[in-house]
Amino acid sequence: MKFFQSLTRIDRRLIYLILTVLVILPFFLKFHLPQNIMPQTKRLYDFIDGLVPQENKAALVSIDYTPQTMPECHPMAISILTHCFKKRIPIIGISFDPQAPGLAIEAFNTVVIRLNACATTKNDSIIYGRDYIYLGWKSGRIAALMEMGEKISNVFPRDYYNNNTDSLPLMQRIKNYRDISIAIILAAADYPQEWLMYAQARYGLKLGTGLTAVMAPKYYPFLQTGQLSGMMSGMKGAAEYENLLLKSGHTTETGKAETGMNSQTLVHLLIIMLIIIGNIGYFFLQQKKEH
Amino acid sequence: MSTDLWTWIGAFLTLMIFSFLYKDNPFYKFAEHLFVGVANGYYIVFYWHQALKPNLYEPLKSGNFLYLIPLLLGLLYFTRFIPKISWLVRLPLGFMIGWGAGISIPANLQAFIFRQIEGTVVTPGSFSDGYEGLWSLIILIGVICTVIYFFFSTEHRGIFKFGSRLGIIFIMLGFGASFGYTVMARVSLLIGRIQFLFGPWLGLIK
Repeated sequence: MKFFQSLTRIDRRLIYLILTVLVILPFFLKFHLPQNIMPQTKRLYDFIDGLVPQENKAALVSIDYTPQTMPECHPMAISILTHCFKKRIPIIGISFDPQAPGLAIEAFNTVVIRLNACATTKNDSIIYGRDYIYLGWKSGRIAALMEMGEKISNVFPRDYYNNNTDSLPLMQRIKNYRDISIAIILAAADYPQEWLMYAQARYGLKLGTGLTAVMAPKYYPFLQTGQLSGMMSGMKGAAEYENLLLKSGHTTETGKAETGMNSQTLVHLLIIMLIIIGNIGYFFLQQKKEH
Repeated sequence: MSTDLWTWIGAFLTLMIFSFLYKDNPFYKFAEHLFVGVANGYYIVFYWHQALKPNLYEPLKSGNFLYLIPLLLGLLYFTRFIPKISWLVRLPLGFMIGWGAGISIPANLQAFIFRQIEGTVVTPGSFSDGYEGLWSLIILIGVICTVIYFFFSTEHRGIFKFGSRLGIIFIMLGFGASFGYTVMARVSLLIGRIQFLFGPWLGLIK
Protein backbone atom coordinates (compact mmCIF):
# COMPACT_ATOMS: atom_id res chain seq x y z
CA MET A 1 0.00 0.00 0.00
CA LYS A 2 2.79 2.38 0.99
CA PHE A 3 4.63 1.69 -2.25
CA PHE A 4 1.59 2.57 -4.37
CA GLN A 5 0.98 5.66 -2.25
CA SER A 6 4.54 6.79 -2.86
CA LEU A 7 4.00 6.35 -6.61
CA THR A 8 1.19 8.91 -6.52
CA ARG A 9 3.06 11.30 -4.23
CA ILE A 10 6.49 11.81 -5.74
CA ASP A 11 8.04 15.03 -4.35
CA ARG A 12 7.63 17.70 -7.03
CA ARG A 13 11.15 18.98 -6.31
CA LEU A 14 12.56 15.59 -7.27
CA ILE A 15 10.59 15.76 -10.53
CA TYR A 16 11.96 19.26 -11.25
CA LEU A 17 15.49 18.03 -10.56
CA ILE A 18 15.20 15.05 -12.92
CA LEU A 19 13.57 17.28 -15.53
CA THR A 20 16.38 19.86 -15.32
CA VAL A 21 19.05 17.15 -15.63
CA LEU A 22 17.28 15.74 -18.70
CA VAL A 23 17.13 19.19 -20.29
CA ILE A 24 20.82 19.91 -19.64
CA LEU A 25 22.29 16.49 -20.54
CA PRO A 26 21.77 16.55 -24.34
CA PHE A 27 23.77 19.79 -24.62
CA PHE A 28 26.86 18.00 -23.33
CA LEU A 29 26.36 14.42 -24.53
CA LYS A 30 26.45 14.77 -28.28
CA PHE A 31 23.69 12.53 -29.64
CA HIS A 32 20.93 13.08 -32.13
CA LEU A 33 17.38 11.85 -31.83
CA PRO A 34 15.64 11.66 -35.23
CA GLN A 35 12.82 14.13 -35.97
CA ASN A 36 10.10 13.55 -38.51
CA ILE A 37 8.83 16.52 -40.52
CA MET A 38 5.14 17.28 -40.07
CA PRO A 39 3.09 18.02 -43.22
CA GLN A 40 2.10 21.56 -42.18
CA THR A 41 5.75 22.64 -41.85
CA LYS A 42 6.58 21.01 -45.19
CA ARG A 43 3.68 22.85 -46.81
CA LEU A 44 4.96 26.21 -45.60
CA TYR A 45 8.49 25.37 -46.70
CA ASP A 46 7.30 24.19 -50.14
CA PHE A 47 5.20 27.32 -50.60
CA ILE A 48 8.11 29.65 -49.92
CA ASP A 49 10.52 27.48 -51.86
CA GLY A 50 8.15 27.56 -54.84
CA LEU A 51 8.04 31.37 -54.95
CA VAL A 52 9.71 32.88 -57.98
CA PRO A 53 11.50 36.20 -57.37
CA GLN A 54 9.53 38.92 -59.13
CA GLU A 55 10.11 42.64 -59.42
CA ASN A 56 6.80 43.62 -57.85
CA LYS A 57 6.25 40.87 -55.26
CA ALA A 58 7.45 40.55 -51.67
CA ALA A 59 6.86 38.42 -48.59
CA LEU A 60 5.40 40.14 -45.55
CA VAL A 61 6.69 38.89 -42.20
CA SER A 62 4.81 39.99 -39.11
CA ILE A 63 7.06 39.43 -36.10
CA ASP A 64 4.76 39.34 -33.10
CA TYR A 65 6.40 37.22 -30.44
CA THR A 66 7.71 38.30 -27.07
CA PRO A 67 10.97 37.71 -25.18
CA GLN A 68 9.49 34.88 -23.10
CA THR A 69 8.52 32.92 -26.24
CA MET A 70 11.84 33.46 -28.01
CA PRO A 71 12.98 29.81 -27.72
CA GLU A 72 10.01 28.79 -29.85
CA CYS A 73 9.54 31.68 -32.27
CA HIS A 74 12.97 33.27 -32.73
CA PRO A 75 14.43 30.23 -34.56
CA MET A 76 11.35 30.34 -36.83
CA ALA A 77 12.05 33.99 -37.68
CA ILE A 78 15.71 33.22 -38.41
CA SER A 79 14.73 30.31 -40.68
CA ILE A 80 11.99 32.18 -42.57
CA LEU A 81 14.18 35.25 -43.16
CA THR A 82 17.10 33.04 -44.27
CA HIS A 83 14.88 31.08 -46.66
CA CYS A 84 13.36 34.21 -48.25
CA PHE A 85 16.71 35.96 -48.61
CA LYS A 86 18.30 32.85 -50.10
CA LYS A 87 15.44 32.71 -52.62
CA ARG A 88 15.92 36.47 -53.24
CA ILE A 89 12.34 37.17 -52.13
CA PRO A 90 12.19 40.75 -50.72
CA ILE A 91 10.80 41.02 -47.20
CA ILE A 92 8.64 43.63 -45.54
CA GLY A 93 8.78 43.26 -41.77
CA ILE A 94 6.12 44.65 -39.43
CA SER A 95 5.00 44.13 -35.82
CA PHE A 96 1.75 44.53 -33.93
CA ASP A 97 3.03 43.37 -30.54
CA PRO A 98 4.65 46.13 -28.46
CA GLN A 99 7.38 43.77 -27.24
CA ALA A 100 8.34 42.60 -30.71
CA PRO A 101 10.29 45.40 -32.47
CA GLY A 102 13.57 44.78 -30.61
CA LEU A 103 13.37 41.06 -31.37
CA ALA A 104 12.51 41.71 -35.01
CA ILE A 105 15.55 43.93 -35.44
CA GLU A 106 17.74 41.29 -33.79
CA ALA A 107 16.39 38.59 -36.12
CA PHE A 108 16.94 40.73 -39.24
CA ASN A 109 20.45 41.76 -38.14
CA THR A 110 21.48 38.18 -37.30
CA VAL A 111 20.42 36.86 -40.70
CA VAL A 112 21.65 39.83 -42.76
CA ILE A 113 25.10 39.87 -41.11
CA ARG A 114 25.45 36.09 -41.57
CA LEU A 115 24.44 36.18 -45.25
CA ASN A 116 26.42 39.31 -46.09
CA ALA A 117 29.55 37.71 -44.63
CA CYS A 118 29.38 35.20 -47.51
CA ALA A 119 28.45 37.76 -50.20
CA THR A 120 31.09 38.74 -52.72
CA THR A 121 29.30 41.44 -54.72
CA LYS A 122 26.75 44.14 -54.04
CA ASN A 123 24.17 42.10 -55.94
CA ASP A 124 24.76 39.12 -53.64
CA SER A 125 24.40 41.25 -50.54
CA ILE A 126 21.22 41.84 -48.61
CA ILE A 127 20.64 45.58 -48.55
CA TYR A 128 18.15 47.51 -46.44
CA GLY A 129 15.57 49.30 -48.57
CA ARG A 130 16.25 47.15 -51.62
CA ASP A 131 15.92 43.59 -50.26
CA TYR A 132 14.13 44.17 -47.00
CA ILE A 133 12.60 46.83 -44.83
CA TYR A 134 11.27 46.86 -41.30
CA LEU A 135 8.31 49.18 -40.78
CA GLY A 136 8.13 48.87 -37.01
CA TRP A 137 5.11 48.67 -34.73
CA LYS A 138 1.60 49.99 -35.29
CA SER A 139 -1.34 50.38 -32.91
CA GLY A 140 -4.94 49.57 -33.91
CA ARG A 141 -4.35 46.18 -35.51
CA ILE A 142 -7.74 45.66 -37.14
CA ALA A 143 -7.86 49.05 -38.84
CA ALA A 144 -4.22 48.65 -39.87
CA LEU A 145 -4.81 45.19 -41.36
CA MET A 146 -7.69 46.48 -43.47
CA GLU A 147 -5.93 49.66 -44.55
CA MET A 148 -2.83 47.71 -45.65
CA GLY A 149 -5.09 46.06 -48.23
CA GLU A 150 -5.44 49.52 -49.82
CA LYS A 151 -1.95 50.94 -49.23
CA ILE A 152 0.74 49.73 -46.86
CA SER A 153 2.46 53.10 -46.60
CA ASN A 154 -0.79 54.70 -45.40
CA VAL A 155 -0.47 52.59 -42.26
CA PHE A 156 3.30 52.89 -41.97
CA PRO A 157 4.21 56.32 -43.42
CA ARG A 158 7.67 55.97 -41.84
CA ASP A 159 9.78 52.87 -41.29
CA TYR A 160 11.41 51.80 -38.01
CA TYR A 161 14.42 54.03 -38.73
CA ASN A 162 12.16 57.02 -39.49
CA ASN A 163 12.73 56.95 -43.27
CA ASN A 164 9.84 57.98 -45.48
CA THR A 165 8.36 54.58 -46.44
CA ASP A 166 7.42 55.63 -49.98
CA SER A 167 10.99 56.77 -50.62
CA LEU A 168 12.43 53.26 -50.05
CA PRO A 169 13.17 51.44 -53.34
CA LEU A 170 11.28 48.30 -52.27
CA MET A 171 8.14 50.24 -51.37
CA GLN A 172 8.06 51.95 -54.75
CA ARG A 173 7.20 48.52 -56.18
CA ILE A 174 5.03 47.18 -53.34
CA LYS A 175 1.76 48.98 -52.68
CA ASN A 176 -0.71 46.63 -50.97
CA TYR A 177 -1.71 42.99 -50.42
CA ARG A 178 -1.91 42.41 -54.19
CA ASP A 179 1.89 42.70 -54.23
CA ILE A 180 2.42 40.29 -51.33
CA SER A 181 3.10 36.64 -52.25
CA ILE A 182 2.60 35.42 -48.69
CA ALA A 183 2.25 36.94 -45.23
CA ILE A 184 3.93 34.91 -42.50
CA ILE A 185 2.82 35.67 -38.96
CA LEU A 186 5.21 34.61 -36.22
CA ALA A 187 3.12 35.08 -33.14
CA ALA A 188 2.85 34.30 -29.47
CA ALA A 189 -0.72 35.60 -29.21
CA ASP A 190 -3.90 35.35 -31.25
CA TYR A 191 -2.80 37.73 -34.00
CA PRO A 192 -3.20 35.18 -36.86
CA GLN A 193 -6.93 35.08 -36.12
CA GLU A 194 -7.23 38.74 -37.14
CA TRP A 195 -5.12 38.17 -40.23
CA LEU A 196 -7.52 35.37 -41.19
CA MET A 197 -10.53 37.60 -40.66
CA TYR A 198 -9.39 40.88 -42.17
CA ALA A 199 -6.61 40.04 -44.62
CA GLN A 200 -7.25 36.47 -45.78
CA ALA A 201 -11.07 36.44 -45.95
CA ARG A 202 -11.36 39.99 -47.29
CA TYR A 203 -8.39 40.28 -49.64
CA GLY A 204 -7.54 36.60 -50.29
CA LEU A 205 -4.02 37.09 -48.96
CA LYS A 206 -2.00 33.86 -48.64
CA LEU A 207 -1.09 33.24 -45.00
CA GLY A 208 1.48 31.11 -43.23
CA THR A 209 2.10 31.02 -39.50
CA GLY A 210 4.72 30.17 -36.93
CA LEU A 211 3.07 29.77 -33.54
CA THR A 212 3.91 28.80 -30.01
CA ALA A 213 2.94 25.20 -29.33
CA VAL A 214 0.14 26.25 -26.96
CA MET A 215 -1.62 28.05 -29.81
CA ALA A 216 -1.11 25.39 -32.49
CA PRO A 217 -4.16 23.10 -31.93
CA LYS A 218 -6.50 26.06 -32.46
CA TYR A 219 -5.12 26.69 -35.94
CA TYR A 220 -5.21 23.15 -37.36
CA PRO A 221 -8.75 23.59 -38.79
CA PHE A 222 -7.49 26.49 -40.93
CA LEU A 223 -4.89 24.26 -42.55
CA GLN A 224 -7.55 21.78 -43.55
CA THR A 225 -9.68 24.48 -45.22
CA GLY A 226 -6.68 25.97 -46.99
CA GLN A 227 -6.99 29.31 -45.18
CA LEU A 228 -3.43 28.75 -43.97
CA SER A 229 -0.80 27.74 -46.50
CA GLY A 230 1.36 26.18 -43.81
CA MET A 231 2.24 26.33 -40.15
CA MET A 232 5.18 25.82 -37.81
CA SER A 233 4.12 24.64 -34.34
CA GLY A 234 6.39 25.51 -31.45
CA MET A 235 10.02 24.50 -31.10
CA LYS A 236 9.36 21.31 -33.06
CA GLY A 237 8.06 23.27 -36.05
CA ALA A 238 11.09 25.54 -35.91
CA ALA A 239 13.44 22.52 -35.75
CA GLU A 240 11.67 20.93 -38.71
CA TYR A 241 12.13 24.10 -40.78
CA GLU A 242 15.82 24.25 -39.81
CA ASN A 243 16.20 20.65 -40.99
CA LEU A 244 14.44 21.38 -44.28
CA LEU A 245 16.78 24.32 -44.92
CA LEU A 246 19.78 22.13 -44.13
CA LYS A 247 18.63 19.29 -46.39
CA SER A 248 18.04 21.64 -49.31
CA GLY A 249 21.48 23.25 -48.86
CA HIS A 250 20.18 26.72 -47.92
CA THR A 251 22.12 26.47 -44.65
CA THR A 252 25.14 24.50 -43.53
CA GLU A 253 23.99 23.81 -39.96
CA THR A 254 20.81 23.68 -37.94
CA GLY A 255 19.97 26.27 -35.30
CA LYS A 256 18.91 26.50 -31.68
CA ALA A 257 15.53 24.79 -32.13
CA GLU A 258 17.06 21.57 -33.45
CA THR A 259 19.57 21.56 -30.55
CA GLY A 260 16.72 21.94 -28.06
CA MET A 261 14.66 19.10 -29.52
CA ASN A 262 16.87 16.38 -27.98
CA SER A 263 16.07 17.77 -24.52
CA GLN A 264 12.43 18.10 -25.53
CA THR A 265 12.20 14.42 -26.48
CA LEU A 266 13.83 13.24 -23.24
CA VAL A 267 11.49 15.38 -21.14
CA HIS A 268 8.48 14.05 -23.04
CA LEU A 269 9.60 10.49 -22.27
CA LEU A 270 9.91 11.44 -18.59
CA ILE A 271 6.42 12.94 -18.55
CA ILE A 272 4.94 9.85 -20.25
CA MET A 273 6.65 7.66 -17.63
CA LEU A 274 5.39 9.85 -14.77
CA ILE A 275 1.83 9.72 -16.12
CA ILE A 276 2.03 5.92 -16.35
CA ILE A 277 3.56 5.59 -12.84
CA GLY A 278 0.95 7.93 -11.36
CA ASN A 279 -1.87 5.99 -12.98
CA ILE A 280 -0.51 2.61 -11.83
CA GLY A 281 -0.30 3.93 -8.25
CA TYR A 282 -3.82 5.37 -8.45
CA PHE A 283 -5.25 2.17 -9.98
CA PHE A 284 -3.82 -0.14 -7.30
CA LEU A 285 -4.75 2.25 -4.47
CA GLN A 286 -8.35 2.28 -5.69
CA GLN A 287 -8.38 -1.54 -5.85
CA LYS A 288 -7.03 -1.84 -2.30
CA LYS A 289 -9.61 0.64 -1.05
CA GLU A 290 -12.42 -1.37 -2.67
CA HIS A 291 -11.18 -4.57 -0.96
CA MET B 1 32.04 33.07 -19.09
CA SER B 2 30.35 36.30 -20.11
CA THR B 3 31.92 39.68 -19.40
CA ASP B 4 28.68 41.51 -20.19
CA LEU B 5 27.01 42.98 -17.09
CA TRP B 6 23.50 42.64 -18.59
CA THR B 7 24.02 38.92 -19.24
CA TRP B 8 24.96 38.50 -15.56
CA ILE B 9 21.88 40.43 -14.44
CA GLY B 10 19.72 38.28 -16.75
CA ALA B 11 21.30 35.10 -15.42
CA PHE B 12 20.80 36.05 -11.76
CA LEU B 13 17.20 37.10 -12.36
CA THR B 14 16.56 33.76 -14.10
CA LEU B 15 18.00 31.86 -11.12
CA MET B 16 15.96 33.99 -8.70
CA ILE B 17 12.75 33.08 -10.56
CA PHE B 18 13.73 29.39 -10.70
CA SER B 19 14.29 29.39 -6.92
CA PHE B 20 10.48 29.38 -6.57
CA LEU B 21 10.51 25.74 -7.72
CA TYR B 22 12.03 24.88 -4.33
CA LYS B 23 9.80 27.22 -2.34
CA ASP B 24 8.67 30.84 -2.17
CA ASN B 25 11.51 33.14 -1.04
CA PRO B 26 12.58 36.82 -1.00
CA PHE B 27 14.82 36.43 -4.09
CA TYR B 28 11.86 35.22 -6.13
CA LYS B 29 9.69 38.02 -4.77
CA PHE B 30 12.33 40.62 -5.69
CA ALA B 31 12.63 39.33 -9.27
CA GLU B 32 8.86 39.12 -9.63
CA HIS B 33 8.30 42.70 -8.46
CA LEU B 34 11.16 43.97 -10.58
CA PHE B 35 9.63 42.31 -13.64
CA VAL B 36 6.21 43.89 -13.03
CA GLY B 37 7.79 47.32 -12.56
CA VAL B 38 10.03 47.09 -15.61
CA ALA B 39 7.20 45.76 -17.79
CA ASN B 40 4.90 48.62 -16.74
CA GLY B 41 7.62 51.19 -17.34
CA TYR B 42 8.34 49.73 -20.77
CA TYR B 43 4.70 49.81 -21.82
CA ILE B 44 4.12 53.39 -20.59
CA VAL B 45 7.16 54.75 -22.43
CA PHE B 46 6.47 52.62 -25.53
CA TYR B 47 2.84 53.67 -25.86
CA TRP B 48 3.71 57.33 -25.36
CA HIS B 49 6.42 57.35 -28.02
CA GLN B 50 4.83 54.94 -30.49
CA ALA B 51 1.09 55.54 -30.11
CA LEU B 52 0.05 58.71 -28.28
CA LYS B 53 2.79 61.06 -29.49
CA PRO B 54 2.65 60.33 -33.25
CA ASN B 55 -1.10 59.63 -33.42
CA LEU B 56 -2.47 62.34 -31.12
CA TYR B 57 0.00 64.81 -29.67
CA GLU B 58 1.82 65.70 -32.89
CA PRO B 59 -1.31 66.11 -35.07
CA LEU B 60 -2.84 68.33 -32.38
CA LYS B 61 0.36 70.33 -32.08
CA SER B 62 0.38 70.91 -35.82
CA GLY B 63 -3.15 72.35 -35.62
CA ASN B 64 -5.27 69.36 -36.70
CA PHE B 65 -8.07 69.85 -34.18
CA LEU B 66 -10.17 66.98 -35.55
CA TYR B 67 -8.08 64.81 -33.24
CA LEU B 68 -9.86 66.44 -30.30
CA ILE B 69 -12.82 64.13 -31.00
CA PRO B 70 -10.96 60.85 -30.32
CA LEU B 71 -9.18 62.55 -27.41
CA LEU B 72 -12.52 63.52 -25.89
CA LEU B 73 -13.94 60.03 -26.46
CA GLY B 74 -10.88 58.54 -24.76
CA LEU B 75 -11.10 60.91 -21.81
CA LEU B 76 -14.76 59.99 -21.30
CA TYR B 77 -13.61 56.53 -20.13
CA PHE B 78 -12.26 58.22 -17.00
CA THR B 79 -15.70 59.58 -16.06
CA ARG B 80 -16.28 56.21 -14.36
CA PHE B 81 -14.30 57.62 -11.45
CA ILE B 82 -16.75 60.56 -11.00
CA PRO B 83 -20.11 59.09 -9.89
CA LYS B 84 -22.19 62.12 -10.95
CA ILE B 85 -21.18 61.92 -14.60
CA SER B 86 -20.19 58.26 -14.78
CA TRP B 87 -23.01 57.65 -17.30
CA LEU B 88 -20.90 59.44 -19.91
CA VAL B 89 -18.69 56.35 -20.16
CA ARG B 90 -21.47 54.81 -22.23
CA LEU B 91 -20.59 57.08 -25.16
CA PRO B 92 -17.11 55.69 -25.90
CA LEU B 93 -18.27 52.18 -24.95
CA GLY B 94 -21.21 52.43 -27.34
CA PHE B 95 -18.93 53.70 -30.08
CA MET B 96 -16.43 50.87 -29.56
CA ILE B 97 -19.08 48.14 -29.29
CA GLY B 98 -20.89 49.43 -32.39
CA TRP B 99 -17.69 49.68 -34.41
CA GLY B 100 -16.38 46.36 -33.10
CA ALA B 101 -19.56 44.43 -33.81
CA GLY B 102 -19.97 45.94 -37.25
CA ILE B 103 -16.45 45.16 -38.27
CA SER B 104 -16.11 41.71 -36.72
CA ILE B 105 -19.48 39.97 -37.26
CA PRO B 106 -19.28 39.68 -41.08
CA ALA B 107 -15.56 38.85 -40.93
CA ASN B 108 -16.17 36.19 -38.26
CA LEU B 109 -18.94 34.58 -40.27
CA GLN B 110 -16.84 34.56 -43.40
CA ALA B 111 -13.55 33.32 -41.89
CA PHE B 112 -14.72 31.01 -39.12
CA ILE B 113 -18.23 29.78 -39.95
CA PHE B 114 -18.70 29.56 -43.73
CA ARG B 115 -15.15 28.44 -44.54
CA GLN B 116 -15.17 25.87 -41.73
CA ILE B 117 -18.52 24.43 -42.81
CA GLU B 118 -17.19 24.34 -46.36
CA GLY B 119 -14.15 22.43 -45.10
CA THR B 120 -16.35 19.90 -43.30
CA VAL B 121 -18.56 19.05 -46.27
CA VAL B 122 -17.58 15.76 -47.90
CA THR B 123 -18.02 15.64 -51.67
CA PRO B 124 -17.09 12.92 -54.20
CA GLY B 125 -14.05 15.10 -54.95
CA SER B 126 -12.83 14.53 -51.37
CA PHE B 127 -12.12 10.89 -52.32
CA SER B 128 -9.87 11.70 -55.27
CA ASP B 129 -7.08 10.78 -52.85
CA GLY B 130 -8.21 7.82 -50.70
CA TYR B 131 -6.18 8.84 -47.65
CA GLU B 132 -7.50 12.43 -47.69
CA GLY B 133 -11.02 11.11 -48.25
CA LEU B 134 -10.81 8.98 -45.13
CA TRP B 135 -9.71 11.99 -43.07
CA SER B 136 -12.52 14.11 -44.52
CA LEU B 137 -14.99 11.45 -43.42
CA ILE B 138 -13.47 11.31 -39.91
CA ILE B 139 -13.68 15.13 -39.66
CA LEU B 140 -17.34 15.05 -40.73
CA ILE B 141 -18.20 12.33 -38.17
CA GLY B 142 -16.19 14.19 -35.49
CA VAL B 143 -17.99 17.49 -36.09
CA ILE B 144 -21.47 15.91 -36.11
CA CYS B 145 -20.84 13.81 -32.97
CA THR B 146 -19.30 16.74 -31.07
CA VAL B 147 -22.28 18.94 -31.97
CA ILE B 148 -24.62 16.13 -30.80
CA TYR B 149 -22.78 16.06 -27.45
CA PHE B 150 -23.59 19.75 -27.00
CA PHE B 151 -27.21 19.33 -28.15
CA PHE B 152 -29.23 19.48 -24.95
CA SER B 153 -32.78 19.83 -26.30
CA THR B 154 -33.37 16.11 -26.28
CA GLU B 155 -32.33 13.27 -23.97
CA HIS B 156 -29.22 11.44 -25.15
CA ARG B 157 -30.81 8.06 -25.93
CA GLY B 158 -30.51 5.67 -28.86
CA ILE B 159 -28.69 7.23 -31.79
CA PHE B 160 -28.12 10.46 -29.78
CA LYS B 161 -26.46 8.44 -26.99
CA PHE B 162 -24.16 6.74 -29.47
CA GLY B 163 -23.37 10.07 -31.17
CA SER B 164 -22.66 11.91 -27.92
CA ARG B 165 -20.42 9.08 -26.61
CA LEU B 166 -18.44 9.23 -29.83
CA GLY B 167 -18.41 13.03 -29.48
CA ILE B 168 -16.77 12.72 -26.05
CA ILE B 169 -13.97 10.65 -27.59
CA PHE B 170 -13.30 13.38 -30.17
CA ILE B 171 -13.40 16.06 -27.47
CA MET B 172 -10.96 14.09 -25.30
CA LEU B 173 -8.61 13.67 -28.26
CA GLY B 174 -8.73 17.46 -28.69
CA PHE B 175 -7.94 18.01 -25.00
CA GLY B 176 -5.09 15.51 -25.20
CA ALA B 177 -3.57 17.29 -28.20
CA SER B 178 -3.87 20.64 -26.42
CA PHE B 179 -2.25 19.25 -23.26
CA GLY B 180 0.59 17.67 -25.23
CA TYR B 181 1.28 20.91 -27.07
CA THR B 182 1.12 22.88 -23.79
CA VAL B 183 3.71 20.58 -22.21
CA MET B 184 5.94 21.04 -25.26
CA ALA B 185 5.57 24.84 -25.06
CA ARG B 186 6.48 25.02 -21.38
CA VAL B 187 9.45 22.70 -21.77
CA SER B 188 10.62 24.86 -24.71
CA LEU B 189 10.72 27.89 -22.43
CA LEU B 190 12.85 25.98 -19.92
CA ILE B 191 15.16 24.84 -22.72
CA GLY B 192 15.50 28.47 -23.82
CA ARG B 193 16.59 29.57 -20.35
CA ILE B 194 19.02 26.64 -20.01
CA GLN B 195 20.51 27.54 -23.41
CA PHE B 196 20.95 31.11 -22.13
CA LEU B 197 22.52 30.07 -18.82
CA PHE B 198 24.95 27.55 -20.30
CA GLY B 199 25.54 29.53 -23.51
CA PRO B 200 25.90 33.31 -23.33
CA TRP B 201 26.40 33.33 -19.53
CA LEU B 202 28.68 30.40 -18.70
CA GLY B 203 29.96 29.84 -22.23
CA LEU B 204 29.81 26.06 -21.85
CA ILE B 205 27.69 25.40 -24.94
CA LYS B 206 27.60 27.02 -28.39
